[in-house]
Amino acid sequence: MSAIYTLGIDVGSTASKCIILKDGEEIVAKSLIDVGAGTSGPQRAIDTVLANADMTREEMDFVLATGYGRNSLMGLADKQMSELSCHARGASFLFPEVHTVIDIGGQDVKVLHIENGTMTNFQMNDKCAAGTGRFLDVMARVLEVKVEDLGRLGAMSQKTVGISSTCTVFAESEVISQLSMGTDKCDIINGIHRSVASRVTGLVHRIGMVPEVVMTGGVAQNTGVVKALEAELDCPIHTSPLTQYNGALGAALFAWQAACRKSR
Amino acid sequence: MSINVMLDEFKEIAANPKKQLEHYKGQGKKAIGVLPYYAPEELVYAAGMVPFGMWGSNKKTISRAKEYCATFYCTIAQLALEMLLDGTMDGLDGIITPTICDTLRPMSQNFRVSMGEKMPVIFLAHPQNRFDENGLAFTVAQYTNVRKKLGKIAGAEITDEAIKNAIKVYNRSRAARREFVKLANDHCDVVTPTKRSAVLKAAWFMSKDEYTEKLEALNAELAKLPVCDWQGTKVVTSGIICDNPKLLAAFEENNIAIAADDVAHESRAFRTDASETEADPMMALAKQFADLDYDVLLYDPQSAKNRRGEFVANMVRESGAQGLVLFMQQFCDPEEMEYPYLKKALDDMGIPHIKLGIDQQMRDFGQAYTAIQAFADVLEMNK
Ligand code: SF4
Repeated sequence: MSAIYTLGIDVGSTASKCIILKDGEEIVAKSLIDVGAGTSGPQRAIDTVLANADMTREEMDFVLATGYGRNSLMGLADKQMSELSCHARGASFLFPEVHTVIDIGGQDVKVLHIENGTMTNFQMNDKCAAGTGRFLDVMARVLEVKVEDLGRLGAMSQKTVGISSTCTVFAESEVISQLSMGTDKCDIINGIHRSVASRVTGLVHRIGMVPEVVMTGGVAQNTGVVKALEAELDCPIHTSPLTQYNGALGAALFAWQAACRKSR
Repeated sequence: MSINVMLDEFKEIAANPKKQLEHYKGQGKKAIGVLPYYAPEELVYAAGMVPFGMWGSNKKTISRAKEYCATFYCTIAQLALEMLLDGTMDGLDGIITPTICDTLRPMSQNFRVSMGEKMPVIFLAHPQNRFDENGLAFTVAQYTNVRKKLGKIAGAEITDEAIKNAIKVYNRSRAARREFVKLANDHCDVVTPTKRSAVLKAAWFMSKDEYTEKLEALNAELAKLPVCDWQGTKVVTSGIICDNPKLLAAFEENNIAIAADDVAHESRAFRTDASETEADPMMALAKQFADLDYDVLLYDPQSAKNRRGEFVANMVRESGAQGLVLFMQQFCDPEEMEYPYLKKALDDMGIPHIKLGIDQQMRDFGQAYTAIQAFADVLEMNK
C-alpha cells in the first residue's frame, strides 16, 4: 500500500504553521510564518511546507485546518476542527502520558484535560489579554526588549518584583512606573512571568491539574514563563521543540485518521 | 401555513421590536415597557395595554446611557436605557422597573431621572422573603401600587375580573411555551437554536393572546412531525439571555441542538403559573411569585443544599442533553456568584459544561466559536 500524506495547517492569531505527516507517524516537513489569520501568512506557510517536502497539494490525501483563522481555508482544506482538539491530539502524540495541556497562544490561554489521548474537558481564558502571548508582546515593547529574549533576561533576575495579573493595561502602567523608579529590567521581566503564571494557574486549577503536564503554543518557548508556572503549580512541565507546531501536528494527525477512513 | 413560514414570522417579530411597537400604537393601543425580572405583566394586559419586554439589544452600542450608568452595569440594563433614550422605544406610555438584582436597584433610579417627564416610571420592589404572610402581603402591596399606576396610564381602573382573565391568558401562554420547548427538543432538526430563540423572544413583543394563538398553531404542526433521529449532540443552555443569532449559529454549525433551557429570558420566565381559583387575583399573582423556584435571582432558604444546581443538572439528564452551555453576562453578579454551585452540581453528576462570557455589545464571536466547536468535540467523545 502506498504511503498516506496529510497536511495540518494551524492558522493562529499571530502565526501560521504547517506540518506534513507520512502515515500519521513521520514528520516530513514543517513551516512557520510569523503572521496569522487575515494575512498572507497561511498561504505562504502552505507554499513553504509543500516546497520543503517537494510535494504538491494534490499529493496530500487529506488537509485539515485548525486555529483562529481555520474558516478562511475552507476552499483549500478538506475539513476544519477546533484548535483545542488538535492541541490535545498533538500533545498526546509527543507525550503519550499527558493529562493536562497548557496552551498559551497569541490571544488566548487554553487548558485541556486529556484521557487516553482525547480531550475530555477544557477551559479558556475570559475575554482579556492578561496571561496571553499578547500580554508578553505589550510588555516587551514597553521594556524595549525582544519577546524571544524575555526568558533569558528574566533568568538573570535578582529580586522579586510584583506585577498585577488582572489586566494588561494596568500591568503596563505598573511596568512603566517600575521602570521610572529605576527597577532592573530583568527583575521586572521575572515579575511579568510570574504574573502570567499566576493567571494561568487559576485556569489550570479550575479543571484540576493531573500530571503529566505539557505546555504548548508559542509562549512555551519562553523558559521564564515555564519555570514560573512549574513553581506555581509545583509540578514539572514538559515542552517540546515542536511546541509551536503542536496544533498543526494535531491537525495532521486528525487528517491522517480521516484519510484512513476515506480509503477504507 | 407551513412550519417554516410560521418560524419566519416569529423571527421577523423578534428582530423588530420597534416595528411591533408601532404596529400596536397604530391600533390605538397603549404600550408599557417591562424591564426584567418578574414584573406582573398580567396587570398590563388587564389594563388593556401591551407589555413590551425590555432586555437590551444585540444591535446597539451604549452611548447615551453612559451619561447615567456606572460602567459596571450589565449591558442588558444599559442598552434597555439606551433604547429609551435614542428614540427606539419612544412610543411607550410608561415602564415598570423591578429591582430584583443589585444592578437593577440603583438602575431604577437612573431610569426615573433620565425619563423625567418623558414617560411614567413605575417602581417595583419585590420582597426577598416572598413566602410567608408578610412576604405575600408585601408583594400584594407592591403589585397594588403598580396596578394603580397602570390604571392611571390606561385611563381606567383595572378590575379584578380583568386580572382574572389576564391570568388565564398568561397561563395558557406559559403552557404553550413549555409545550414548544418540549417539541423543539423532539424536532431539533426543524427548530434550530436560532429559530427556537426567535420564537421564545417574540413573546416579549406581542400581546399574549395573539402570541399564544400563533404558537399553538406552530405547536400543532410540530406535533404532527415524526420525532427526529438527531445525530448531533444536545445541550441545555443556562444564563440570563442568549438570543444573539450569530452566537447561536455556532451551535447549528457544530450540530448542537438545545434540548432545554435554564435561561431567564426563556424558560425561567414561564415555568410557573398563577392560580385561577384563588379568590383574590392579586394574591394569586403574589403566590405565583412566591412559587418561583430554582432561580439565581431569588432567595432560597435552603440554598446550602444546592437545590438549584441539582435541578439544572437533572434538567440536562432528563432532557437527553450531553452537556450544558452557560452564557455568563459580563458584570452579572447574581450569575457569577451562583456559578461555583452550578459547576459543583454538574461536576458531581459528571456533566460537562462550558462557560461563555458574553455581553450584548459583542460583535466578534471568534473565541466563543472555538469554545463551542471544541465543546462539540468533547460531547461527541462522551456520547
Ligand atoms: S441579573 Fe445580571 S444581567 Fe440581569 S440585570 Fe442584574 S446584573 Fe444585569
